Amino acid sequence: MEQHLMWHWPVIGYLFLAGVGAGAIAVSGIVVLWGPAGEFRHRAALVARLGAYIGPLPALVGSALLIFELGRPYRALNLLTSNFWFMVLNPSPMNWGSWFILLFGVFTTVYALSFLPWRTLLGGEWGERLAARGERVRSPMAVVCVPLAIAMAIYTAILLAAIPARPLWHTPVLWLLFTVSAISTGLSAIILVQRFMFRKPGAVRGAVRREDPAFRVTEYYLVSMKVLLIIAELVVIGLFFMFAHMTINSANFAVQVLLPGGELATTFWVGVILVGLLMPAFIEGFYLLRTAVLGHEFEWPYVINVSAPIAILFGGLMLRYVIVVGGQITGPVGI
Amino acid sequence: MNDGSDRPVGRRKFLKTAGQGAAAVATAGVAGGGMHAAATKPSTGTREKNKVQYGMLIDLRRCIGCQACTVACKAEADVPMGVARSWVEYVEKGLYPNAGRTFLPRLCNHCSEPHCVRVCPTGATYERPQDGLIVIDQGVCIGCLYCAHACPYDMRFLNPVTRFADKCDMCIHRVSKGLVPSCVNTCQGRARIFGDVNDPNSEIHKLIAKNPVSVIRETYGTQPNVYYIGLDTTDENTKKPGQYVRVTTNKAKSPKRT
Repeated sequence: MEQHLMWHWPVIGYLFLAGVGAGAIAVSGIVVLWGPAGEFRHRAALVARLGAYIGPLPALVGSALLIFELGRPYRALNLLTSNFWFMVLNPSPMNWGSWFILLFGVFTTVYALSFLPWRTLLGGEWGERLAARGERVRSPMAVVCVPLAIAMAIYTAILLAAIPARPLWHTPVLWLLFTVSAISTGLSAIILVQRFMFRKPGAVRGAVRREDPAFRVTEYYLVSMKVLLIIAELVVIGLFFMFAHMTINSANFAVQVLLPGGELATTFWVGVILVGLLMPAFIEGFYLLRTAVLGHEFEWPYVINVSAPIAILFGGLMLRYVIVVGGQITGPVGI
Repeated sequence: MNDGSDRPVGRRKFLKTAGQGAAAVATAGVAGGGMHAAATKPSTGTREKNKVQYGMLIDLRRCIGCQACTVACKAEADVPMGVARSWVEYVEKGLYPNAGRTFLPRLCNHCSEPHCVRVCPTGATYERPQDGLIVIDQGVCIGCLYCAHACPYDMRFLNPVTRFADKCDMCIHRVSKGLVPSCVNTCQGRARIFGDVNDPNSEIHKLIAKNPVSVIRETYGTQPNVYYIGLDTTDENTKKPGQYVRVTTNKAKSPKRT
């Protein structure tokens, strides 16, 4: 069992950031395509806008981390051109992933640009023209971006799960775990940014004010969705352990690093499960149930408003940390 | 890393090796004794029999754990400090008075179904068609270390000088000139036998046919081409209750990338 780590913070950070970006774009695109009409249309448009702004940034920062970790950044082009110029794809998940990053980066940037308030930024004829074009391309771009975002979220897990020699990664539920975590962290990022933007009433020009009842109702739906995703993630983590437990030898040994007494047990149970999943689920669930069951108006302290999404983002980062590091400090058993 | 020979198999060479393969099948059938031994051999799966496949046979009964191969490899390949392409593990088993220590030389298995080649995103690592060795083209490698994770034998590492993936290449610069690899050359117990596994006239082929041999981690389906005589695969995790096992890998640890 080797103790040195070949993949460390740059890779962990990349997997996390790619997940956040993919989740934000997936939420934004789904709101654009199947969002509510009528009273909440404007609020839904704001969620979609924030998601679109958040989306490309983490993915681009994350891939920059990876490229500069290589030491020779220009060599990263080999991922796309390979050793024969005509051979652009090979069966490696990393090769597919590099194409996904490229397409995701390009399309989500266009998608984000289509949301910019061109009328106020540029003004005049050009602003009018760009704004009109932005509104036109928004839905078609969402059709492209949502599958790309889901592909990004799944690929970050397949990248790890494709390797039989790393028993902790080589599990059929890892893609589900990473995808659910990606969407829940992306949604948390949207909720967090929206909080900061609306700390002062009317902070964004033309946006709905915080006192608006539509704000509370939209928030209620977003947070309910997040709590459901947290529950789904807990179920998937349960499945993860069940698969490992039912596998003979290597995976069974590997999962011991996460179980009590293992090297990463504290990080996993405190960082991922307690801080990242259970605490936000209980606190947010409490306020949600108060509204759903007792019929109170949905409101909560500002501290919880901000800290719950941060806790979920932290939990998502710790999940990537535990999986990436845990996979490397365990290995095949037997000589 | 490429020694200049063409990567695709030429037609002439193909016909030649095909002819050798046919001869191999014929001799195996005539020899008869080989058939019985083959039943206990590690599974060959989709392995091609009609091509040159260099491999190694390590007779663990003859290994004295002197680490001369480790040093020879280090000198021959100019491997930087802190990493190693080949090493000898010490395996201690049993309780007094039935305790024993055996030695396990490790090197790249040059698998016929290599996981490292499958995951390489750039095609920098590939199987040479002319001799079945797995090599890394350092002009293409990006140093992502995906292959190092994929190897079930932990043979690959980041070369701290070049910052690309590195591993045992079975001394292709020697082998392609008709010499044996440096570790084989230096082995004073003659524990290491190198040759074409598919050539029925080679020493390695005959020894594999005559002796019970096994490979490391056969269940991964990589079909290694490094065979061992007298291999015991028990380690700390797979030992029976009450059994004492201690494996000292003696492997240099890779420095963390900065």
